[in-house]
Amino acid sequence: MIDASAVRASSSPEVAMPALLVEGARKSYGREAVGRADAVSDVSFDVQQGTVHGLLGPNGAGKTTTLKMLLGLVRPSAGRFEINGVPADARGARSNLGFLPEQPYFPTLLTAREALVFYGRLAGIDADRARGEAGILLERVGLEGREGTLLSRFSRGMLQRLGLAQALLGDPKVVVLDEPASGLDPVGQRDVRNLMLDMRAQGASILLSSHQLSEVEAVCDEVTILDRGRVAARGDIDDLLNVAGRTSVRARGAGELPEAVTHIAEDIAVDGGIVVFAIPDEQVRRVVDLLDDAGWHLEAIVPKRESLEDYFARLLKRPEHQDGGEPR
Amino acid sequence: MSRVLTIARAVIRDAIRRKVVWVVVVFAALLSIVAPNLPSYGVGVVSAVYREITVALMFAASLVVTIALAATRIPVETERRTVFTVLARDVSRWHYVVGTWAGLCAVTGIAILAFGMAAIAVGALVYREVMWLLLAGALAVWLEMSVIAAATVMSSARFGVVTSAVFALAFAFAGHSVGGLVSGGGLPWFVPTLDVFDVVNPVAHGSGYGALYALGMIGSCAAMSGLLLLVACALFDGRDL
Repeated sequence: MIDASAVRASSSPEVAMPALLVEGARKSYGREAVGRADAVSDVSFDVQQGTVHGLLGPNGAGKTTTLKMLLGLVRPSAGRFEINGVPADARGARSNLGFLPEQPYFPTLLTAREALVFYGRLAGIDADRARGEAGILLERVGLEGREGTLLSRFSRGMLQRLGLAQALLGDPKVVVLDEPASGLDPVGQRDVRNLMLDMRAQGASILLSSHQLSEVEAVCDEVTILDRGRVAARGDIDDLLNVAGRTSVRARGAGELPEAVTHIAEDIAVDGGIVVFAIPDEQVRRVVDLLDDAGWHLEAIVPKRESLEDYFARLLKRPEHQDGGEPR
Repeated sequence: MSRVLTIARAVIRDAIRRKVVWVVVVFAALLSIVAPNLPSYGVGVVSAVYREITVALMFAASLVVTIALAATRIPVETERRTVFTVLARDVSRWHYVVGTWAGLCAVTGIAILAFGMAAIAVGALVYREVMWLLLAGALAVWLEMSVIAAATVMSSARFGVVTSAVFALAFAFAGHSVGGLVSGGGLPWFVPTLDVFDVVNPVAHGSGYGALYALGMIGSCAAMSGLLLLVACALFDGRDL
């Protein structure tokens, strides 16, 4: 096994290495003779330092298998996996990494504090510090006063919160979260979102696998969308969702839109006196003048942006995807 | 090493709160308490028979505890995915396997010691004799259970609860029968057998065993457990979780 500290020492400090790197990941099950099935065929992406990267995809797309390969829980058939520039299977590579699995379970006969001290010790923290951190983290995830409660008495949502707390033990610089808002009520989901934004503000790099597209859209800087074991799309979330060459106009007024505007506008949506529509970028000045002349009040003019939900659905309807290519 | 100890401590803390451990130990202790009152018990060498029954109970109770804990630990942790949060950290799979085994051995040791002390107390009360020899029996039983725990962990590193429990029972049976299967006397020295831990006669009817024999048992336990754990680590290492 390679030693992580030796690899880090040999890396050039000037090169901004990604916090996480997955390159050409493949996982096949079964033998060739009886028919091999690929859970993951070819997945590559990286998570830049201090960013939140979303990993999206429908069920069976290969998200969890990819995460498991990165974390050494599943042996990859091929691919390169690095954490802070160090091979993920090197000794010490995961010492600064926190992980929250999907629907985490914990030894039910331990108390919340005992469980966190246990995970803290595994993270290389001494017992006193682990006890101190346990109290702080339980408060941070909304479990204050539950330190001495046996985990068998925890609800699904409480276990999820505890899972987050254990992922944050030792102040990891890289955090991998698999469905962190699963099982949480709306307030809990908001708390998780804020927690991720706080962590990013403190310089942590986060890989977020989620089905909750609103959550991904709210916190992620970049996304990788997987489908059938391959990368269907990846990139900056604004680049993916902004519709090139289109501008969204939101205007308030009485009566109907001026006829000249109606001819240009697309995707018109009316809600009370508010009208939202899209126009080509080059028509913005003309439309503004037309609305102004007609006595309409302009509320917003922004680049047209698709919801992640629509984008996701549209992308996955396509029969084939090009790896890393622009999906539209 | 600290990670192995951390995992072992968690296994101890978790197992010691499981009812199965204490139900079995208390049941065996109760049997040991009522043993002197059995109708057919007046054959003249009552304290020796008491020791024999106690060692047999100790063996049976600890076998149940060992298999119940060792056959379930890894399969259940894998199925419930509690193992993910452990192995995703800077913890090798061998840390996990060896830590689990060490924790199981410690729990079995505590249970055997508790039962042994209870049996010594009963012996002192009933026969006015402090039977320290029972501790020698307890040591042998504990060493044997450590080997059986290693075998069970080895099986459970790859297979489920039922398979591992059956394998453990078969291993214990074969470990004591292999000597009888060889005609014409003893086995060659290199053939592993659990008979080395069978000290019922010297503990119940003799004056125990010497330090050299104890060292031999410890060595056998270390060699057999080490070999089984090596296979366990290899099996677990190649497994997708």
